Amino acid sequence: MVRSASVPLHGGRSVRAGTPAPCATSRISHRRILARSTLRTVSTGALTFGELIERHEREIFVYALRLVGSRDGADDLYQETFLAAFRAWPPPRRGAERAWLYKIATNKAIDRARRDRRLVPLAELRLAAPERDGVTLADLAASIRTLPPGQRAAFVLHKVEGRPYREVAAALGCSEEAARSRVAEAMKKVKEATR
Amino acid sequence: MIEQAVADARERLVWRARREGLATLGYDVLDSPLGPLWVAVGPAGVAALHYGDEPTASDLARLVRAHGPGLVPDPRRASGLARELEEYFAGKRRAFAVAADLSGLTPFQRRILGATARVPYGELTTYATVARRAGNERASRAAGGALGANPIAIVVPCHRVVASDGSLGGYAGGLPAKRRLLALERAGEVPQGGWQPSRMRG
Repeated sequence: MVRSASVPLHGGRSVRAGTPAPCATSRISHRRILARSTLRTVSTGALTFGELIERHEREIFVYALRLVGSRDGADDLYQETFLAAFRAWPPPRRGAERAWLYKIATNKAIDRARRDRRLVPLAELRLAAPERDGVTLADLAASIRTLPPGQRAAFVLHKVEGRPYREVAAALGCSEEAARSRVAEAMKKVKEATR
Repeated sequence: MIEQAVADARERLVWRARREGLATLGYDVLDSPLGPLWVAVGPAGVAALHYGDEPTASDLARLVRAHGPGLVPDPRRASGLARELEEYFAGKRRAFAVAADLSGLTPFQRRILGATARVPYGELTTYATVARRAGNERASRAAGGALGANPIAIVVPCHRVVASDGSLGGYAGGLPAKRRLLALERAGEVPQGGWQPSRMRG
């Protein structure tokens, strides 16, 4: 009988059978799908929803958390962003999927803020972002709570996530000039509030 | 904490995408006695089962062609297949209840894989026999090609197909895997180097 003494199990649970089974172990377990994509699409050109999720879900969730400030709100924004992307499939340009997702997420966040007519407190911002410039995120959270949604998105993208104005402009669907002035305007208000 | 939050969000997203009809296939990577298996399951059954933790590029293209881009990570959808595979590897299952979804394949590939799916548990057949049952007696080499590219390993039991001279032939999961599956199904009887040609006649 062909039987290997030890069966390499890749990350899954390794369960030793109580009674000798035909295979040394027959256990099937679900492996956690890693952040890196398990789907190669470079050579096929066949981009799938799964690849978009696996590649970008974490950063989109973190961005959503920074924009809306609560885990539940971030979960909702993540859902709305990816569902909108799936409904609008395919992405406008190959290689630009990330910018596309940020743009969708930003628009959805602005829509939500307008719909709710209020800005959600950023109580859980601490969860996602590091402290900067001696200003704690709690301070920051309190001060950017009052920013209008467009300025808030511009501020989070540029000052918290460190994205260049080009990407801020892409996410907000405005010119770089407009992105700069939104960040500057937001910065002025935040400085006033944290002074 | 963030990982858990993202995992929860993803689970809800997949559920919603499925309910809206956007998610057509769910995939998962299963750990098995033969190493990781990449599986994809849709409403018509198992669409892919590959050795390793990703599909081949050409098979991924086939899945997208046949099912659209709605391929999402979905362990729940793969759990029925996972359970059957576990029973199979434990020697407690001789036939799979899940259907094999062969969409996106050529008619020839479907005929070859269909003929292969009818080979009973623990029995052996040859590439030539499969070609004959698929309606083209002289296509045994092409049958070998179609079986080598079998996108639904184990469930479509191409490991039960060996060369006419009794040698094991080839296997996408590697010959040790083929040997191991045959040993499981035939209670350990796999001679080194395969079978004598006389055993393969008829």
